[in-house]
Amino acid sequence: MDAASPQSLTDAEIVAKTLADKQFFGEIVDRYEAKLKRYVARLGVRNPEDQMDVLQDVFLKIYKNLNAFDSSLQFSSWIYRITHNEAISWYRKKNVRPEGHLIADSEELIGFLSAKEDTQDADFDKTINATEVNTALFKIDNKYREVIILRFFEHKEYDEISDILKIPIGSVGTLLHRGKKQLAGELNSEAIRM
Amino acid sequence: MNENNPNNNSNLKNTLLHKIEEEHVRPHSRMFFKSRECVIWTLWLLSVVVGALAVAISVFVVTHRQYALYEATHANWLTFMVEVLPFIWVIVFGLMAYLAVYNIKHTKKGYRYSVATILASSIVLSFAAGSALQFFGLGYSIDAILGDQMPTYMSQEKIEHQLWQQPAEGRLIGRQVAATVATSSVVVFQDTAGSRWRIEIQELLPADIQLLASGENVRLLGQNMNEQAKVFHACGVFPWMMHREVTMQQMSEQRESFLIRVKELAERTEGSINNLEKDLFVATGGIDRKTMPVCANIAAMRRVAERN
Repeated sequence: MDAASPQSLTDAEIVAKTLADKQFFGEIVDRYEAKLKRYVARLGVRNPEDQMDVLQDVFLKIYKNLNAFDSSLQFSSWIYRITHNEAISWYRKKNVRPEGHLIADSEELIGFLSAKEDTQDADFDKTINATEVNTALFKIDNKYREVIILRFFEHKEYDEISDILKIPIGSVGTLLHRGKKQLAGELNSEAIRM
Repeated sequence: MNENNPNNNSNLKNTLLHKIEEEHVRPHSRMFFKSRECVIWTLWLLSVVVGALAVAISVFVVTHRQYALYEATHANWLTFMVEVLPFIWVIVFGLMAYLAVYNIKHTKKGYRYSVATILASSIVLSFAAGSALQFFGLGYSIDAILGDQMPTYMSQEKIEHQLWQQPAEGRLIGRQVAATVATSSVVVFQDTAGSRWRIEIQELLPADIQLLASGENVRLLGQNMNEQAKVFHACGVFPWMMHREVTMQQMSEQRESFLIRVKELAERTEGSINNLEKDLFVATGGIDRKTMPVCANIAAMRRVAERN
């Protein structure tokens, strides 16, 4: 590695440096391991050992495909996409469905539930039971859950979600709207005030 | 969760760097990804080009067939089009549109566009390119070449031939090969199957007789009087128009002329019947069908008369 502090470099600069010196790849791991581990867990890979297996595959894939990184995208979008795809592959390989998991803690849930991006969405009660919402999130369709997780728990913008899930930006809004509607349907009447 | 535990981080980092080192893992080359992107775009271009060819042939068929003398062969234009439309090219076009969407979706940024947008743009592009190709006559040429090269491919020329070389139904394709002693009433005609016919031309108009005498390939409309003796009664002569040089205007004029001639024949027939009625009806109490002109009863004549 050269003398410049890796922490001060942008993701794109780290990628360029990693292509010249693989030791820089450690910086990518440092920057994203925690975020991706949390994301993998939210996608339903519950067992910590499985999470590490998925993460290892994810980072190896990132390393092998560094030359495919398109600098017009955000690096984080690109690696979230790889992570998402690896998690899906993992389910398929194991022939299992995503397991229920604590997607978010109470604070995050309050943020999610009070989000009023769509005037048609229900005004969720902030005192809603976090466990119920977590359970309900795993009952809704996968395509809706993925978008909701990225938007409200990973705090991604629409264009980033579009890049991660490889769907048109317009579809992101549609899926979010439908997802929240389906979620509202899953939550019991005590938990939601329409 | 212990996701931020520095020990876990360094464990994973060290494991990965060790694995990369030990297993000599290398990033795939930039060329690999560029080549893959290039292949996808090439396949997309190919699907648009083939789609454009399908459109060119379809445009050729639809634009030319709108002037077809369909009354001579079919009950109406719809049944005629069902028989002549190049369904294989419609299927090819559909397939190419699907491939175009599939390929675009698999390009680096293809996911940003909706299927409807990609499909619409691919269709518009294929239609624009196909129409341009047909403007230069490529639709006809490709159809004709495929017809020549592939025995199973039904080109428009083959279909037209199949529709008009039907002696039993009163249609023939061929050319006049000789006049007879009674030149004003009978000529010798050879059809494309090689059979020689004695053609009765009493009911033809002077323009028909002139066209027949040119020795060019023509289409005859009439009635097969005797299959064994090969006697055919002609009611109309129309040029063979299935070649590249034929313009839309010529086809339109030919159709107009066909309708006028059919109308004239019908009027002449009506006149003859009126005269016959005058001469024979009172004397015999009815019309002797054998004395009626043949052309009054051919199917094409009846179809045009019914439509009017």
